[in-house]
Amino acid sequence: MEISDEFEATPSAENVFETEVQSVFQETLGLIHIALVSHYQLTEQEATELEKDLFVWFRRFCYRPGASIRENRPYLLVACCQFAREYQKYVVGTGVRSSNERLKSLLDREPADVAHDFSRSLQLYDFRRSDA
Amino acid sequence: MPEVAKILPFRARVGVVSCSREEAAARARTFLNLPEADRSDGCVTDAYSDGDVLTSICSELWELINTSPSAVAEESPRIYKWLSAKEARDFFFDERDYFLGESALLAAGSFRLLGKRDETERWLDRADASFRHTVAPAAHLARVSYIRLTLRYDMRRHEEVLELVPSVALTFQKLGMEIDLAKCRFLEAMSLKELGRIEEAAASFECLSSGEEYRVDPALCGMALVNLGNLRSEQGSFDRALVAYRQASPLLKSAKRFSALADLKLMLGGTLQRMGHLGAAVQAFRESVNDYVALGMDTRATYLRVVLAEALLEEGKPREAEWEILAALPTIDQEKMVPEGFVAISLLRESVRQRKTDPKALIELREYLQTKN
Repeated sequence: MEISDEFEATPSAENVFETEVQSVFQETLGLIHIALVSHYQLTEQEATELEKDLFVWFRRFCYRPGASIRENRPYLLVACCQFAREYQKYVVGTGVRSSNERLKSLLDREPADVAHDFSRSLQLYDFRRSDA
Repeated sequence: MPEVAKILPFRARVGVVSCSREEAAARARTFLNLPEADRSDGCVTDAYSDGDVLTSICSELWELINTSPSAVAEESPRIYKWLSAKEARDFFFDERDYFLGESALLAAGSFRLLGKRDETERWLDRADASFRHTVAPAAHLARVSYIRLTLRYDMRRHEEVLELVPSVALTFQKLGMEIDLAKCRFLEAMSLKELGRIEEAAASFECLSSGEEYRVDPALCGMALVNLGNLRSEQGSFDRALVAYRQASPLLKSAKRFSALADLKLMLGGTLQRMGHLGAAVQAFRESVNDYVALGMDTRATYLRVVLAEALLEEGKPREAEWEILAALPTIDQEKMVPEGFVAISLLRESVRQRKTDPKALIELREYLQTKN
């Protein structure tokens, strides 16, 4: 008996959802990495580990009632800034790492405000990309 | 990541593993099927400390809330208590606050269905307090507000419901939460119905049951039809009422909305009573009482017993009416369903003692319970 290929090719709602979560996360990952490494001054290895945690959180966050996955992207940036801020505050606070003026002023700012600035960069990036 | 990260105020794990939704749902079901006495501390920690499993437990409980509110009212406060004893750093980012809010909202929703208003309010306050600290609280706070409005509906503060429901509905609309939006529209229609704005209410129920304007789940569609049938019955259009009830029944059965099915039997009984089919009406009321008792909805069952007693008196069965009144009185006292010194209850108690049920006192009690409960 032949089995139709079509059946296999039809993705379940669950798979569509998971793919969309991954896609939105991947699209934002570049910006997240810049935020973690260039702005919050985490090492590459630290940033990679935090990104894994962020993905786990974001996936579950998207299962909560409310906005669509794509509309949740700004919250991913808020979480990213919050994760990074708490991490660096702890590392600097325990004397494991020394701070500098740029990092200090960033850590003094609310993560939501920092994320908002990043979101604007994201919109600008999207705008330029669509323009191109 | 250096070792120091492991004691940060957020969970920092090496090699994060997230389980699939199917696996999480299976683990959640296995956990919920275990009787509480058989759950070891380790088993509870395994289930509640895994965000994927806890998300699935909450989903399962939301599925269960309308069919078994008493089970949810037992389960959800346990989750809340367990989470409260933990620190935020044991969870990812805002997840402690989110799950605290979710378990409190489940408790509020279930206690509301069980008619326990003080506990509902307390749990709503807890849900509100926790959700406020999550990353995107708007959707969750709107869900809290919705249950607050249903509580106002239960307390017959219908004008307030009509004033406040548009704001909550707007939040759901903006966030694309169509099913919650439809629930708001249903609540609005119910309040219109209670205020006697029959045509507006009927139009809303018709709109909901047609599913043309909103995405409506089958259960809500069934409930809209039950209430549409009730309105038609009150207007004297008994045939149209029975058609609506007939359409509602399979929808509610397939959705396992047992409390709504009990409501359907109550309303069907009322229609049959108006049509003069007293025997069939009594049968429908009896089934409704049994359903509410099985669901643990004691105050609702008690109100129904009073309705049933009235129908039994009308049918010329005073002994059976007395039994129903005697079965209702303990809950009326225990749940303080009437104020102290309520004359009708004393007259009724005395008349039943003398085996001469006072029909006026019974009607007065039923009308009071209908308006206050």
